[in-house]
Amino acid sequence: MASKIQEILGSAAAIAKGMSITFKEMLQPTITEDYPDGPAIFQERFRGAHVLQRDENGLEKCVACFLCAAACPVECIYIEAKENTEQQRISGGERYAEVYNIDYSRCIFCGYCVEACPTDAITHGHGFELASYNTSTLIIRKEQMLAPLEPGKKPSVVLDPAATALAADHH
Amino acid sequence: MADLVTLTINGKTVQAPPGTLVIDAAKRAGIEIPAFCYYEGFSLQAACRMCLVEVEKMPKLQASCTLPVAEGMVVKTESDPVVKARKSTLEFLLTNHPLDCPVCDKGGECELQDMVFRYGAAESRFTEIKHHVDEKQWSPIVFYDAPRCILCYRCIRVCSEGMGVGALGIVNRGVYSEIAPSHGDHLECDECGACIDICPVGALTSGTYRYQTRPWEMKHVGTICTFCSNGCKTTLGVRNEKIVRGNNRDKSGINGEFLCIKGRFAFDFQDHPERLTSPLMRIDGKLQEVSWAKALEAVAKKFAEVKARNGKFGIVGSTKTTNEENFFLQKFARQGLGTNNIDHHRSGDVVTLMDALAGRTNALATVEDCYQMKAALVVGADLAQEHPLLAYQLRANFRHHNARVYTVTRGPVREDQYSVSRVRTEPGKELEGVESLRPMLSQEPELLILFGSSIKGEDVRRLVAFADSLNIPVKYICLVDYSNSRGAVDMGLLPDLGPGYQPVDNPGLTLPEMMAATDLDVLWVVGANPLARYSLAAANAFVVVQEMFLTETAQRADVVLPAASAYEKNGTVTNVTGQCQKLTAAAKTMGTKPDLEIMGLLAKEMKLNLGIWTVQSVFEQIRTQVRGYNIPLPVVATGQAAQTSPLNGRIPVISRPDLIQSASNTLFTSGSLGRYSKKLTSVLEYPGELYRP
Ligand code: SF4
Ligand code: SF4
Ligand code: SF4
Ligand code: SF4
Ligand code: SF4
Repeated sequence: MASKIQEILGSAAAIAKGMSITFKEMLQPTITEDYPDGPAIFQERFRGAHVLQRDENGLEKCVACFLCAAACPVECIYIEAKENTEQQRISGGERYAEVYNIDYSRCIFCGYCVEACPTDAITHGHGFELASYNTSTLIIRKEQMLAPLEPGKKPSVVLDPAATALAADHH
Repeated sequence: MADLVTLTINGKTVQAPPGTLVIDAAKRAGIEIPAFCYYEGFSLQAACRMCLVEVEKMPKLQASCTLPVAEGMVVKTESDPVVKARKSTLEFLLTNHPLDCPVCDKGGECELQDMVFRYGAAESRFTEIKHHVDEKQWSPIVFYDAPRCILCYRCIRVCSEGMGVGALGIVNRGVYSEIAPSHGDHLECDECGACIDICPVGALTSGTYRYQTRPWEMKHVGTICTFCSNGCKTTLGVRNEKIVRGNNRDKSGINGEFLCIKGRFAFDFQDHPERLTSPLMRIDGKLQEVSWAKALEAVAKKFAEVKARNGKFGIVGSTKTTNEENFFLQKFARQGLGTNNIDHHRSGDVVTLMDALAGRTNALATVEDCYQMKAALVVGADLAQEHPLLAYQLRANFRHHNARVYTVTRGPVREDQYSVSRVRTEPGKELEGVESLRPMLSQEPELLILFGSSIKGEDVRRLVAFADSLNIPVKYICLVDYSNSRGAVDMGLLPDLGPGYQPVDNPGLTLPEMMAATDLDVLWVVGANPLARYSLAAANAFVVVQEMFLTETAQRADVVLPAASAYEKNGTVTNVTGQCQKLTAAAKTMGTKPDLEIMGLLAKEMKLNLGIWTVQSVFEQIRTQVRGYNIPLPVVATGQAAQTSPLNGRIPVISRPDLIQSASNTLFTSGSLGRYSKKLTSVLEYPGELYRP
């Protein structure tokens, strides 16, 4: 008999203990995130999709030195370099990346490229919605990675209207 | 030989001949002493102070690049004072050197970068602003960025001593010192690019390669230059199937690191926009693109039909295709089509020389002989223009061994700068000039004779007879034009001689005879452009052309088959001195096929049994069937040059000296192919003519 009473009291105590935690937490601020209904919140140093930065004049910081590509353990960075000219200056250095691709089906977000970059051009942003049904769309081009121009800054590439029309045709 | 001197370097006992420099003695013992200005083969400069070493009993550190070894010397190359001195030297070099390695072309293979990495300080104590000068373009090929220059004088020495041009000098003093080109603000020179490659830093950059990629991003493929007959090995840097640079910094090959403008920069014909990438067939009077299958079928049908009715073929081979292709082409002609009407552009009388030497295989010189032999006679050739590597070797021979060089030429040549005697003659009178040198030549211990295309037929025999009468050992080089001109003769692209100079029964038509024959049914041209020089008499001839470009001949063709270039195929070529070397495919142009494959497919289409036509099996046939080509496989396979000796007796045919005509290319021209190199044509405004006054 006595053991039955002990059992009931013990259960009640356990429930009370559990509920006390529940009630205490109800009074604390919420930490659950509402993503995708609300915005996702990151630690500042979260390593997400890459951003290619611009300098204070709006020129691209990347000088196509290939060091990020050399540092990348999975070899997912592809660059083609080209020389800046008087007429068309794209980066601050002698040359710029005419093509800069990162293959996100291979990138492991290790950040080695960011470490290697001598001009702080390639950085990790916070973008993470990278899923796709088609791997070919996972090769991200320079144009998709470039930081937007600050308002009032001239774009570094003055596109030739013919070339723009051609590019539009392809889409 | 004098006794060896014994010294100790880093505790290691080293022996070296007297007069050896400490830096060389150390290198031979496997100890590296870093240096910027010191360069083997050129004069001493002692300008950079990187090679300082500690020598016992000497109060100060010594520059090992100018210090000869001495008996009992004790040298330390990595002691604390030495390492400290190197660190300081580097700190000084970096006072004005910009830290722009990320954009500099030399980054990744820069000697300064390597040294700073090994010995340099992480931080500079200089706070002053670096002296800056803007970059200059000196020519379509050469750019100079003065701030990066560390004033090692290597470029100046390679240009004046190595090339014999002397286009570079130094101006101003102190931090304002700069390298300056010969003509104020621009260069008028060979545009060889030797200065660019020898520069330890990125001060000199090339118009073709600059700011395109980085050294580690390329595939490096060693192959043989496809222009002149000298057979330089060029290492092509390839990225994305595109050749972006050529050099030979590893000094492999018969040329060491030498290359002229063609070997170093003229590879750009490979992706010229006018490259043919699809077979063309004349339909309704116009050349139109068709599939390979259709083009091959049409050619095979025509060939079979003409063969069946015993029609007349004319076949023109190339002086740039490989030995395998040339061998297979003559086999196709002789066995497959049953004709001896096969020829090529002849540019030197190799046949008569082989006959006149009558089996003296030791009388054929190699490229190395140009550097080693004690005396040389140049007859009727402007070597520096037409045969840049041989000229370079002779010059080095003079510099290092005081070789005695004689020239008998029509006009002034660069060899005049150092030759002991120069004779000017009218063309055709060279032998009189040679005769006038008899008293001097007969005093020489040995002689190398290089002769151009003006010495042919009986003149070759007279030249050999003259040399025989000197009673000294003589070796010969019969100068020919293109990368495989020699191989074309050796492989029997001749109407009267088969492979290995074997006479054939019923000799066929020569090239001019084919072009003049009004009843010619088929003209088949593999990698040549005969219509640039001749016109085709047979208006109804069916013309098949294997070409890279729509040349004059291809424009007249009924079927054009797009061929791969020499940089896009494997095989072997034989240079002017008979050295056989391996081609390795570096790039690819979609739509083209190597000539060997085209001919193999044609044979298959015609159901001819000409044997397996892979490169290896045809090379094996050459080794077993062509006289003098039984060369060791490993030598060729490892990218070295194997000397062929394709003669061991008389050749009972007349060499037709009237057909021998050199294209007389200069440094900046190379027949039809040269027209398709933008780099080569961009420098045409600079001097480059033969026998420049
Ligand atoms: S994060 Fe790592 S894996 Fe991704 S691109 Fe950079 S280096 Fe390569
Ligand atoms: S992102 Fe940075 S490391 Fe990569 S190529 Fe550009 S400058 Fe060089
Ligand atoms: S390109 Fe050749 S010839 Fe011209 S300056 Fe340089 S080393 Fe001299
Ligand atoms: S340009 Fe280059 S090779 Fe010439 S002196 Fe300067 S660092 Fe030396
Ligand atoms: S010397 Fe002749 S083989 Fe050598 S790089 Fe020049 S053209 Fe080519």
